[in-house]
Amino acid sequence: MNFLQSLEISATGLYAQRKRMDVIASNLANIETTHTKKGGPYRRKMIVMSPKPVEGFDKTLALQAEGVKIDDIVEDKSPFRKAYNPSHPDADKDGYVLKPNVDLIIETTNMLLARRAFEANIAAIKSTKQMALKALEIGR
Amino acid sequence: MPDKLSFKKTFHALERAISIAHQRHSLISSNISNLDTSNYKAKDIDFKTALSQTLESDHEISLARTNPRHMELGTNSANSIEPFEEKGKWNGYNWVDIDKEMTRLAENNLRYRAATETLLRKMAILKEVIREGGR
Repeated sequence: MNFLQSLEISATGLYAQRKRMDVIASNLANIETTHTKKGGPYRRKMIVMSPKPVEGFDKTLALQAEGVKIDDIVEDKSPFRKAYNPSHPDADKDGYVLKPNVDLIIETTNMLLARRAFEANIAAIKSTKQMALKALEIGR
Repeated sequence: MPDKLSFKKTFHALERAISIAHQRHSLISSNISNLDTSNYKAKDIDFKTALSQTLESDHEISLARTNPRHMELGTNSANSIEPFEEKGKWNGYNWVDIDKEMTRLAENNLRYRAATETLLRKMAILKEVIREGGR
């Protein structure tokens, strides 16, 4: 049992939140992307997380402290937005352009959540550090 | 037995308290890092119950080992604490309540520091006795 494991758990949390932030940034950057290599407009991406046992944890330990890992990045299957703009090169025969299913408000909210979750993990790391430093005082 | 008097009970209890606080810290960190994991259930251990259980089980009999290859009987009883899944509220995504977890983190941190500080003061007393005893 050592503090490095607690730190590692929090680090997986930091990593996951940062990756989530990457995906949100990608969604926001492509909010108006009307054609992609796959064809059709950009599809909003989402992150799927699952718990991950930390390596080196004593297998006999009943304690199940787990980190987090990113399972998959999936695409949002919800319908695209439609905008009337007949002069646009990606417009269909009726003059409608399909726009990505990215919602600015949803992305902004997720961005805030990711930031707060990141901060929560930082707080946990700070706490771990304080405890480790306090433990170092024993025997001084 | 002077060393038994000065070291045994308090030191032992404090050591266990520190160990439990540490395990609890791991669990809370784990809950926080799984804040966005769908269907995740927050885990925790009850500090008081865990401590009294550990201290009780430490009084149980131990086996004499005449050969180094003999197995030890329940080596570290602090490791046998079973965490429970919290009965939190479903927040539409999982069972982790961030406010609760942060409060627990702070509370547990204080417990850890309190135990360590007590241990330090106990040591300081012993030191004082050693220093002043010879006068």
